[in-house]
Amino acid sequence: MPAISNFESLPAMREELFIALYKKAFPAVAKYVSRMGGSFDEAKDVFHDALVAYYEKMIEAKLTADNDTAYLVGIAKNLWLKRYRAESRQVPLDNFDIDMDEEEHPSESRLLHFLETAGKKCMELLRGFYYDQLPLNDIATQFGFSGVRSATVQKYKCLEKVRETIKEKALTYDDFME
Amino acid sequence: MMTSWNETEQIEAHLTGRLDTGDSLVFEARLLLEPELGDKVLWQQKTYTIIQHYSRRQLKKEIEAVHQKLFTQPQHASFSQKIRRLFTSK
Repeated sequence: MPAISNFESLPAMREELFIALYKKAFPAVAKYVSRMGGSFDEAKDVFHDALVAYYEKMIEAKLTADNDTAYLVGIAKNLWLKRYRAESRQVPLDNFDIDMDEEEHPSESRLLHFLETAGKKCMELLRGFYYDQLPLNDIATQFGFSGVRSATVQKYKCLEKVRETIKEKALTYDDFME
Repeated sequence: MMTSWNETEQIEAHLTGRLDTGDSLVFEARLLLEPELGDKVLWQQKTYTIIQHYSRRQLKKEIEAVHQKLFTQPQHASFSQKIRRLFTSK
């Protein structure tokens, strides 16, 4: 697994990683789903969520290269059973420790859409910092800040701006996050 | 005087338990005296959740783009045909 540190090429590295994982793990997932009577779209659906779970584990440095494929295939199979088999057969399958299928609230979806369009730059900065957990100097380079200090200041300014946006939107979307 | 981004930083330190004992006591006292600070703490907590959901959504878009590449581009044809065959034989 290449370490994600060369920031210039992060999206390209992610693409390369996902292509490699697709080729290694998706055939096994597809074979399983097919054998169980599921569809191509179902296999794709659970595999995409498994990749997200994998990526998050990788960021937390909880994965080693050796168990890549087994881990991915395992999550995808569990998700498929939980999502597509449980509903038809009423089998209680709730002991899988992944929370990938939390439903998005309709108003949260609107908010995310708003942030994707109106607040993209800040959101990408916050994504790099909190989700991808990139080092601040990589963030400074990527977003064109003079150094770690100004990247830090900007991060908090963005956090504050997004916080205020969310609060403001919550007052207009009446069903927002209770 | 505290700038607003500084306060945002403090709220984060409070939420993640990174304030030292003295700062933590001052912060707790401020929470009692300033209801709007408590309000900011709550919204900031929600903000971290929203950032996570936003990030997942972007990542899933990147994964979807990879999927489209693998299942439409000729250089990946043998891979995509192998997968498709699993679902067409029935």
